[in-house]
Amino acid sequence: MKEGELESVPALETHDLSVAYHKKPVLYGVDLTIPKGQLVGIVGPNGAGKSTLIKAVMGLLPLRSGWVEVFGQPFKKTKTRVGYVPQRESVDWDFPVNVMDVVMMGRYGKLGLFRRPKKKDRDIARECLDKVKMLPFANRQISNLSGGQQQRVFLARALAQESDLYLMDEPFAGVDAATEAAIIELLKELKERGKTILVVHHDLTTAREYFDSMVLLNMRVVAFGPTEQVFTVEQLQKTYGGRLTLLSDVAGETERQLSGE
Amino acid sequence: MVCGVREGEKIMHSSVIHSYTAWRNSSLASIVLLAALLWLAGGEVAQAARIGDLGEVSAWQQALRFFSFRDAGLRLVLVGCLLLGLNCGLLGGFVVVRRMALVGDTLSHAVLPGIALGFLWNMDKDPVAIMVGATVFGLFGVTVVGWITRTTLLKQDAALGLVLSSFYALGICLVTMIQRLPTGNKSGIDKFMFGQAAALGENDIILMLITTVVTLVVVVVCYRGLLVLSFDREFGQTTGLPMHALHHVVMLLTAFAIVVAMQAVGVVLVSSMLIIPAASAYLLTDRLHRLLIYAAVIGMGTAVLGAFFSFLGNNLPTGPFMVLAGTGVFVICFLFSPRYGWWTRLWRLRSRRLRTEREDTLKAMYRVLENREFHGEGVSAVDVAEYRKDTVEEIQRRVQNLVKTGLATDSEEGQMIHFTPKGYQQACMIVRNHRLWELYLTNVARYAADHVHEDAELVEHVLGEDTVRRLERRLKFPNKDPHGKPIPSVRDMLGMTHEEEGAKMEGGYGYRP
Amino acid sequence: MNDFIPAFDWTRVVIDPWAAQFESSFWIVLMGFLATAACGLIGNYLILRRMALVGDAISHSVLPGLAVAFLFSGSLQIGAMFAGAIVAGVLTTLLIELIHTKSRVKTDAAIGITFCSLFAIGVILINVFAGKIHLDTECVLYGEISYVPLESSVKWLGGAIELGPRPVVTMALVFLAVIALIVVFYKELLVCSFDPTLAASLGFSPKVFHYGLMVVLSVVVVSAFESVGAILVIAMLILPGATAQLLSPRLPVVMVLSVLAAALSSLLGYHLGVWMRCSIAGAMVVAAAALFLLVWIFSPEQGLLQRWRRARRVDDGGESRIEENNGYSS
Repeated sequence: MKEGELESVPALETHDLSVAYHKKPVLYGVDLTIPKGQLVGIVGPNGAGKSTLIKAVMGLLPLRSGWVEVFGQPFKKTKTRVGYVPQRESVDWDFPVNVMDVVMMGRYGKLGLFRRPKKKDRDIARECLDKVKMLPFANRQISNLSGGQQQRVFLARALAQESDLYLMDEPFAGVDAATEAAIIELLKELKERGKTILVVHHDLTTAREYFDSMVLLNMRVVAFGPTEQVFTVEQLQKTYGGRLTLLSDVAGETERQLSGE
Repeated sequence: MVCGVREGEKIMHSSVIHSYTAWRNSSLASIVLLAALLWLAGGEVAQAARIGDLGEVSAWQQALRFFSFRDAGLRLVLVGCLLLGLNCGLLGGFVVVRRMALVGDTLSHAVLPGIALGFLWNMDKDPVAIMVGATVFGLFGVTVVGWITRTTLLKQDAALGLVLSSFYALGICLVTMIQRLPTGNKSGIDKFMFGQAAALGENDIILMLITTVVTLVVVVVCYRGLLVLSFDREFGQTTGLPMHALHHVVMLLTAFAIVVAMQAVGVVLVSSMLIIPAASAYLLTDRLHRLLIYAAVIGMGTAVLGAFFSFLGNNLPTGPFMVLAGTGVFVICFLFSPRYGWWTRLWRLRSRRLRTEREDTLKAMYRVLENREFHGEGVSAVDVAEYRKDTVEEIQRRVQNLVKTGLATDSEEGQMIHFTPKGYQQACMIVRNHRLWELYLTNVARYAADHVHEDAELVEHVLGEDTVRRLERRLKFPNKDPHGKPIPSVRDMLGMTHEEEGAKMEGGYGYRP
Repeated sequence: MNDFIPAFDWTRVVIDPWAAQFESSFWIVLMGFLATAACGLIGNYLILRRMALVGDAISHSVLPGLAVAFLFSGSLQIGAMFAGAIVAGVLTTLLIELIHTKSRVKTDAAIGITFCSLFAIGVILINVFAGKIHLDTECVLYGEISYVPLESSVKWLGGAIELGPRPVVTMALVFLAVIALIVVFYKELLVCSFDPTLAASLGFSPKVFHYGLMVVLSVVVVSAFESVGAILVIAMLILPGATAQLLSPRLPVVMVLSVLAAALSSLLGYHLGVWMRCSIAGAMVVAAAALFLLVWIFSPEQGLLQRWRRARRVDDGGESRIEENNGYSS
C-alpha cells in the first residue's frame, strides 16, 4: 500500500465501461468498485467478456465508453502497481528465453528505459521463482515446461512485479491439481499481505471455495459481492442462462453502424 | 498440407451446391472467351516485329495498333497477356482466400534455379525444358517450407522467406554462371527477371494456352471440391473428398501459371499477378465463384494494360507495368468497392452522422414541444438551442438541413421551426426508440437508471423496426419510460393523438393515412 | 559442362584471393560479413516476431526510396540514402497496416500487394531515369559486391587515415549501431517480442518499438542493398537467425551464433563465388543456406538426425521429452 493513500480508495473502479471487439460488443456498461485486499473471482460463461474486462482495465483495448481507475487514478499513472498474468496461450513458448529471463521481465516495469537489471532484481526474481517452487528450473528453456510449470513461471513473473493489484487471466486453465493448489495457496498469502487480486475463473465447482467475493459477468455485471451472497442458484441462472439476446443484438448493430458497415 | 496455412474463409459459407450451379453458368462465359482467343491466335502469324520498333508514332496510333489485333506480333503479345491474366487470376483467387499469398511469392522465386537448369539443358530458351525445371524447383521449394515448419521451431513466415531467398540465390549463381559461358543463346535469360511480353514466342503461347485450358477445366469440374478445400480442408477430408490430391493439383497448376507467366512478368514480380487481381476481386464480392471470375477479368485487364504501357515506353520491362496496372485497380477497389471500400465506408459514416444530427434536432424539437405539453405552434430555434446546449447558429444550420430533406419548415427567418408530417413521425420514432431502450436497460438488463440515457442517445438511431417490435413485446407494450415520460406510440407517429395541437399547426398534423 | 563448373583449382580458389588480390578479397568478405551480421541480428527479431515477410517486403520497397533519393540528390549521399530508405520502410509498414485494417484483405495479401507495387515503381524509376539513377537492374537483382573495393575510399583527418571503401565504412557504422541499439534496448525488445500485452502493461509501447525496428531494418537493408540487391537481403535477414535458433534456446547465444554464421557464410561464400565464377553475393547466400541445411540436419536438439533417432526410440517404447513439449507449444 502506498503511503498517504486513503484506506477507502478502491483498488479498482470502473464506471459504465463498454468495450467492443471486432465489431461485437463484449462489455456493456460495467460498473465495478473493488475494495483493497480482496481476492475476487470473475465468473461467467464463455464469451462473457471476462478476459476483455481485464484487458480493458489495463488500457490494452480501446473503450467505447466509460472510465477505469486504479487506486483512484487512471491506469497510466498507476501501472507499476498492477501485475498481470495473461493466458498461457497468449505467448510463443518456443521463444528462445529461459525461465529466469521470463521472470526478470516482471522487473522491467520498475526499471524503466535504459536501466539494466541489477543483482537486487535478480535476487527478487529468484525469490519469486522459489515461491512457486520453480527455482530448480531457472535455467530451463521455456518450451521444455509442462502446462502447470508454465503457469507458475507466469505467476512468478507477476510476483516479481511487486504490485498491489494483480489481474490474472485463467491461471487455473490446463494446470495439474498440485499446481492449482499451490497457486491458490499463493493467492491467499498475497491477500493476507493486503494485495488485491482479480482472477478470471471458469470452474464453478471450485470458484466457491477459492474466492471471498465474486463478479458474475455476462456482458454486464450480473452480480457482485461476497461469495455467499452472490453465489446463488438464481444469480447463476441469470449469468449462465441465456444471454440477453436483444441487448447483444442491438449493441452489435450499433458497433457495426459506428464502424461504417 | 503444405505449410499449415489457415484456410478458413467466411465468404464461402453459402451452400456449396448452390454456388456450383451459379458457377457453371458463369463459367460458360469464360469458355466462350477462351474460344475467341484461340481463334485470334490461330490467325496468320507473320514474322513478329518487336513492339516498340515503330519509333515516332503518337500514343493514340500506338494504342490503335496495339489493341486492333492487326499486327501479328502484337496479337501474340495480347493473346499471351489475356491468357496469363486469366490463368493467374483464377488460381490467385484460391491463393488469396486460402491466405497463401506469400506461398505464391515463394513459389515464384524458387523457380529460378529450375529456369537456369532448364536453360542449360540445351543452351537455349526451350519453353518445355524451362517449364519442367521451373515447376520442379517451385514445388520442391514449397515442399521444403512444409518440412522446415514441421521439423523445426521456425514458423511459417521465416521458412517462406528462407526458402524464397535461398533458392533465388542458387538461381542467381546459376544464371551468372550461364552468362559467362561462351556458347549458347543467352540473350533470353535476363528477360526472365523483370519480364518482356514482346519476347513471347509462338511456343510460349501454345504452352500458356494448354495450361490455361487445363486450369479452366480443373476449376470448372472440381469447383465444389476446391471450394471445400479453400474453406475447411479438414471437414473436406471427413466427407471423403480427395483433399490432398486437390491441394497438390492446385499447387501444380499455380506453379504452371507462374512459370508460363514468368516470361512476360518476370520472376521477381510474377506473384503479384496471382495476388493483386484476386485481392481486388475479394473486395468486390462475397461469393467464391464470382471472386474467381472477377479476378480472371481483372487479371486479363491488368496484364494487357501492363503490356501496353511497356510497349508505349519502348520496351521497358513489362512486369512492373502490369503490377502497377493491378495496383491501380486494387486502389480503386480498396477505396470505392460498394460494400468494403474505405471511401465508401467513410461516406456511409458521414451520411449516418448527418442523419443522426437531423434526428437529434427533431428529437430536441419534440422535447421542447413536450415540455410545454404540446401547446403552441412551432418551436423556436432559441428553445431548441437551449435544450441541446448548442448555439442558435448551429441549430439554424441544422434546421436548414432539415428543411432540405423535407423534415421541417422554418419561418421568421429561421427563428421558428415547424415539423412536416414526415418530420414529426421521425421525431416520435426517435423519442420512442430512446425511451424503449432506456426501459429495456433498466427493467430487463437491470442497469442503474443513471447509465441508460447516454447509451440510449446512441442506440436510438440504430434500432430498426423489427428490433422495436421485439423490444415492445419483451417489455409488454409499455407506454411510460423509466422517468415516467410517455413513449410515443404508432398512433402518435401518424399524428392522431394530441389532436388539439395538431389542428393548430399549419400544414402539420392534418395528415391522415 | 566443364565450362559450366570450373575445376577446383586450389591456388586459384583459396590461395590467390588472399595473396595476389588480398586487398579486394578482404573488403569483399568484410562487406559480406558486416551486411550479413547486421541483417542477421535484426532478422532474429523479425523471426521471433513472425515478421520475416515484413522484412521481405521492406527489402523490396527500399528500392523506390533509393531511386527517389538518387533523383533528388544526384549522387548517392548517405543521408539521402537513409532518408529515402526510412521513408520507404515506414511507408511500407503503414500501407500494409492500412490495407489489412481498413479492408478485408488479409495480412499476407496486403504484404504482397504493397511490396510488389513499390518494387515495381522502383524498377520503372530506374529504367526511365537510367541516366540519372546509377543503379542498374543487375544491382537490384544480385548486387555488386565485387565492385566494393573499387569504391572511393573514406579518409579521415585530411587523408592521414584511410578507413576503406565507402560502402564498407557505412555498413560497419550501421553494424555497430545495430549492436549498440540491441544492447541498450535489449530488455524492451525482448519483452515486446515475447509478450506484447505484458510490454504494454509495463508501459513500453509495443508500437513504438515496432516502428523503431522497422526504421532500423530499413537502414540496414539499404546499406546492404547496393552490394547484395533486393532479394538476397532477405536471405541475410533470415538465414543467420534461423540457423542460430536451431542451435540454441537462449536469445543472447542466438545473437552471437548468428554473427558467427554470418562470418562463416561470407567467407565460404566468397570462395564458392571465386570457384564457380558466379555472383559473389549469391554465392554467400548459397553458403549461408548450406550452413542452415547442415545445422538443420545435425543440430543436437532440433536436428533431423536427432529427431529421427528419437522417433526410433519412441517406437521402442521410450517417451521423448521434446516430443511431449512440442505438444504443449503447438
